[in-house]
Amino acid sequence: MIEVEHLSKNFEDKKRGIVRAVDDVSFSCQPGEIFGLLGPNGAGKTTTLRMLATILEPSSGTARINGFDVRRQAQEVRRSIGYLSGSTALYERLTAREMVTYFGSLYGLTASDIESRISEIFNELDMNEFADSRCDKLSTGQKQRVSIARTIIHRPPVLFFDEPTNGLDIITARTIIRFIRRCRNEGRTVVFSTHIMSEVETLCDRIAIVYRGQIAAVGSLEELRDRTGKQAFEQVFLRLIGEEDEEDRDGGKSDDSRNGSLINSTEAAVSAVSTVREDRR
Amino acid sequence: MTMPKQTFVRPTEPRKARSNVVWTIFFKEFREIFRDRRTVLSVIIGPLIVTPGIFALLGIAIGKKVEAAKLEVYKVGIVAPQASPRIADALGKTPGLEIQTVTAADAAKQIKERKLSAAAVLPVDAEAKIAAGNAVPVQILEDAGSETSRGAVGRIQDSLSHLGTQLITGRLRDNNLPADYATPFVVTEKPIEQGGSTAMMILSQMLPYILILSAFTGAIYAAFDQVAGEKERGTLETLLVSPASRRDIVLGKFGAVVGVCLISSVLAIIGFMLPFISHLKVFDFLTQGNIHLQPMAIGVILLVLLPLSVLFAGLLLAVSTFARNQKEAQTYLGMLFPLIAIPSVLSMVIGDNAGMGVALIPILNASIIIKQALNGTYNLTFILVAFGVSAAYAAFALLCATYLFQKESVLIKA
Repeated sequence: MIEVEHLSKNFEDKKRGIVRAVDDVSFSCQPGEIFGLLGPNGAGKTTTLRMLATILEPSSGTARINGFDVRRQAQEVRRSIGYLSGSTALYERLTAREMVTYFGSLYGLTASDIESRISEIFNELDMNEFADSRCDKLSTGQKQRVSIARTIIHRPPVLFFDEPTNGLDIITARTIIRFIRRCRNEGRTVVFSTHIMSEVETLCDRIAIVYRGQIAAVGSLEELRDRTGKQAFEQVFLRLIGEEDEEDRDGGKSDDSRNGSLINSTEAAVSAVSTVREDRR
Repeated sequence: MTMPKQTFVRPTEPRKARSNVVWTIFFKEFREIFRDRRTVLSVIIGPLIVTPGIFALLGIAIGKKVEAAKLEVYKVGIVAPQASPRIADALGKTPGLEIQTVTAADAAKQIKERKLSAAAVLPVDAEAKIAAGNAVPVQILEDAGSETSRGAVGRIQDSLSHLGTQLITGRLRDNNLPADYATPFVVTEKPIEQGGSTAMMILSQMLPYILILSAFTGAIYAAFDQVAGEKERGTLETLLVSPASRRDIVLGKFGAVVGVCLISSVLAIIGFMLPFISHLKVFDFLTQGNIHLQPMAIGVILLVLLPLSVLFAGLLLAVSTFARNQKEAQTYLGMLFPLIAIPSVLSMVIGDNAGMGVALIPILNASIIIKQALNGTYNLTFILVAFGVSAAYAAFALLCATYLFQKESVLIKA
């Protein structure tokens, strides 16, 4: 379980002075739930997740992850979480097995634990074929599977996904989306950040709209639609952040064809979500 | 492909002690460092193959040149040979000299045009002076900037010296004087056992410089790859979300860089010693004389290298942590490098009996101790002061690296 209370983060910028990247953010997420953080680039999603993962220290406020405080029990928090993002890369000169073994050791698992976990995960993720290949020789999809194995080697009850499908092809993105859904189905607490609306619609049980460092609204997809009176999620989003254009305000048109990314999303990511929709059916 | 089935477990306390986390990071970094071709080239291939290889090539080139010089026949002019037929005859019979009569005005011109290598100008009264037992002034014209000319001059001097000895022997005999009458001293040189030699002199001049630069340069790629490289590739974030504390991470990485510094300097010692212990002919130009490295000298050198490696590892890791990427780290290296290179070069000009003040200067103090050890002298006070001072500087460098590693503004891209 995750409880975030009035979390804020300031950065010092030489030109702009103090910049408030995250401003008084509060939310909670239960086991068996996928909680989405939706917002454009620079909204504060990554900073929020980095604070929850104890990579960054909050300027004010706090959060409890699996019962541990991010400020005072950072090490316990890190032991409770798995963190996967577009920017968490692999050690290229290590093999897939060495990479996962290394992280298993850092999480305090014994050699026999690591061995049995690797055997289990590599079988399930179909990784045996490239288990002893160096990471720099792997395809993007294989690398992503190594990242997943690294993320779950210690059976974390809480998982953070920070724009995990960024720049991925359809097949790899689908692997990630399936993995996230599986985590939820197994009762894990999942926080998922993205700027791609369709991913949120497909995956998330509840959504926080993040804009300019603040949470503009929190609720299920239906609750947010009811609150705004809009059906198309793009319009729901725009109304909630107060950026609704005139055409929408006058006609309240619903146009599902525009239901894409908040920014120019990659074709791969959109395609990935389409694939997921097919899977759902 | 299906997803692995998961069962929840509450995170357990780590079974390994914290020191094991540091070792885990250390071993992983060490393994990865030596899979980096750049490090393998600079730490292993460079000192063990490239350095002896360069010396060998140099030896072959010098050997060939010496052989060629021995066989070369120099065209030498002689001005006024009629003034002393016996000098002209002696020069004419000297192997490797081809004598040609020239006028005084022509001699310099022909040397300039490289038609002659040198010319001997005899005074018109040369023979009269010899007969009177007076010294004969012989002027040798040469092109001081030409190796060929210098070689020819050497042979003319040898020839005249040989003729001079014959003349003195004759004069002594004519005057019924003993053969050693004109030789008041017979001086011989005998190197003491286990004493210095040309080889030791070269070693004590060069080795401190080579060792220090090897320790430093060997670790550059490793250190820059450790933090700046990880930031660049995005692996640092992966590591920061693990339970390893930042202090554990920096200590593990730091240990690996210290290890690389030490390996690099030890291999540099081996690489530099190879020409001296191999007794190969190609290294003759370098290894005239024997070397006697006492075990204590090796012990002292390793003792000095330890705090030096710690200092270098701390400095390089601090730079690597501060830089946003490896390219930026290389830029900072440009500023740091003279601070390392200058003290190590200074040891070549400062004698091994340097005052205590030198013991306070990092790097230079280590160079001097290495130099002293190679020459078989040990100043215990100097060593202790230098070791203490180097350890303090090293601790400071490590503290800087650790401090920077705690700062999220330098570690995480906002």
